[in-house]
Amino acid sequence: MAILVDKNSKIVIQGITGREASMVTKHALAYGTKIVAGVTPGKEGQNVEGVPVFDTLKRACREFEMNTAVVYVPPAFAYDAVMEAIGNGIALIVIITERIPQQDAVRFIAATRQNNCTIIGPNSVGIITPADRVKLGAIGGDNAERCFVSGSVGVISRSGGMTAECAWMVKQAGFGVSTCVSIGGDAFIGSPPKEILRLFENDSATEAVVMWGEPGTRYEEDVAEFVNNKGFTKPLIAYIAGRFVETMPEGTVFGHAASMIEGDSGKPSIKMARLREAGCHVVENFNDVIPILQDAMA
Amino acid sequence: MARVLENIGKDLLKENGVPAPEFRVAATSEASRRAAEQIGCPVVVKALVTAGKRGKAGAVKFAEDPDEAAKIAENLLAMTVHNFPVERVLVERKLDISQELYVSITYDPVQMAPIIITSTAGGIDIEEIAAAHPEKILKYHVNILNGFNLYEAKEIWSDLGLKGSILQKATTILGRLYQLFVKYDCTILEINPLALTPNDELIAAAMLMGVDDDALYRQPYFSKKVEAGSDRAWRPLTVLEKKMIEVDKTEAYRGTARYTEMEGGNIGFFCGGGGGSLLSYDALLRFGGKPANYTEFGGNPPEAKVRGLVKGVLSKPGVQGFYMNLNITNNTQTDIVAKGIIGAFKDLNIDPGKFPAVLRLAGVHDAEARRLCTEAGLEYHGDDITMEDTARIMVEKMRKAFPGEAD
Repeated sequence: MAILVDKNSKIVIQGITGREASMVTKHALAYGTKIVAGVTPGKEGQNVEGVPVFDTLKRACREFEMNTAVVYVPPAFAYDAVMEAIGNGIALIVIITERIPQQDAVRFIAATRQNNCTIIGPNSVGIITPADRVKLGAIGGDNAERCFVSGSVGVISRSGGMTAECAWMVKQAGFGVSTCVSIGGDAFIGSPPKEILRLFENDSATEAVVMWGEPGTRYEEDVAEFVNNKGFTKPLIAYIAGRFVETMPEGTVFGHAASMIEGDSGKPSIKMARLREAGCHVVENFNDVIPILQDAMA
Repeated sequence: MARVLENIGKDLLKENGVPAPEFRVAATSEASRRAAEQIGCPVVVKALVTAGKRGKAGAVKFAEDPDEAAKIAENLLAMTVHNFPVERVLVERKLDISQELYVSITYDPVQMAPIIITSTAGGIDIEEIAAAHPEKILKYHVNILNGFNLYEAKEIWSDLGLKGSILQKATTILGRLYQLFVKYDCTILEINPLALTPNDELIAAAMLMGVDDDALYRQPYFSKKVEAGSDRAWRPLTVLEKKMIEVDKTEAYRGTARYTEMEGGNIGFFCGGGGGSLLSYDALLRFGGKPANYTEFGGNPPEAKVRGLVKGVLSKPGVQGFYMNLNITNNTQTDIVAKGIIGAFKDLNIDPGKFPAVLRLAGVHDAEARRLCTEAGLEYHGDDITMEDTARIMVEKMRKAFPGEAD
């Protein structure tokens, strides 16, 4: 087992003919991932690395059964692409596109709540399940094994780049990963860490989770509460980057709304304290992920 | 977020049917005097800067006559408000205010939905009131797919106790504010106070507005009127920061970088990935290093862009070393990054043998990156060591090269 993506993933790439999307398609196919179709309006009849391209997702769905979409279309068209995926009944939508307007993200996140589907991202580098050789997005590049080997540790990262580095640290510790999820670097994302932990809790292939956190948002505070409430009961090794930002001169706060909504959440020191209080393994230094994980897995 | 100056925001309010006071923008005390004469005293004189909380910073003053307005303007124009030098002031008709309402609209990052916060106890102490009397604050989440109906605005104000014609006016204004928030891709729109006058008029006396950087492409109204990313700065951008934005704009869709100048320091900092840079900076500080700046880059930048960025990093006065730390890349070509760095050293005539530098550059094409760096005399690391280990090596190298310098 794994979470989100496995050997039953039937994948369509929206915006497949773009420069990066076609390179990623090549790498994913070489890795063993089954990509069924691609969509780029006006390019039906072409193929990318042998994957047939359709004008609309609807036409692609007539030919193939699909349950997973990867969105590579540019920011101005990403909202519509996500709505197209939702409208065609795709259960998992992974949005790679960066710099999508906040309003658009809030809109499609609201739409998923009404349509019972899951969004990962925007601004995700992808998801990988090495046991089933499935990878979505650029994650792992053309040499996934360098960082991502199969095993029983889950990875959740707010940083795309550090998703790979976290998996590499797991490998250095002598283990491998079940599924690694780059949840996206934006403030408005479809699946915050708590939601991914919920999936890992129910995944028999996952024995522990490594989580990469950053300043801002309330994601880590929510995770602490979730762990406190026994929503996640496996070992959770957490690192929160960017502690120096608390010593920087503060940008003058613009308006009063933020303090009335968020209070003092967002500071790395507070995130670390909350996670510690909840019983998580909060590592001071990233190097400590290795020995702490070894202890947790012993 | 791009912060919108109050004069631009108020023009927008008026265009969209929300009443705001008459105002003029002035850059000298003499112009302020004339503005006060034209508008008619008493007036309010405000520092026109993109910093919030100006009232508490003493940057909002009242004048009874044009001479006083000129004098206040002279003082304000010599002031710095939260590190922002005041270059212009807003001279505005002073309102008779019988009650201060509060309205803000933003996206709630917890519920991931628009949130409207309202109160009939507005003014500069709204946060204290919110903490001491939460019952005086009403928070309302909007279903963004359904939009915001006027009856919802009416319910909000009615629940806060407004009645009669004021209830109707406040309802109309709140409806228009939400439409404006959505139409202009605002990330925050705050009216404080929304002033009630003795004649039962509602007027947006003070306001602030932030616009989504990522939506500026579809908001021509703000073209050349706002500066993207202005909410991140705790001071105006420096000359070098502005220059680095220009470097980043070349081949805009290939690789992105963000440069911030730090006070003092001697290590030129050029690290990769948003997350990896946070880790690298934390680690340098922990080992006693003194970064002079902060550059994060990612997304497979072309060689020329890397070269320009690194030149900028190294050109800050006081930089005596170079630190480049990157997570194992998914798609960034490390050989291209290496070429850019080596080129920058050449352009600046820096001898890598005499200038402490540490690079960790693992990932796509890293055999070539290793060869290039080694040939050029730069200390190269791949995935043989961790990211934190390279920070320790960098700081040790600085200590060895500059033993006299205290930490």
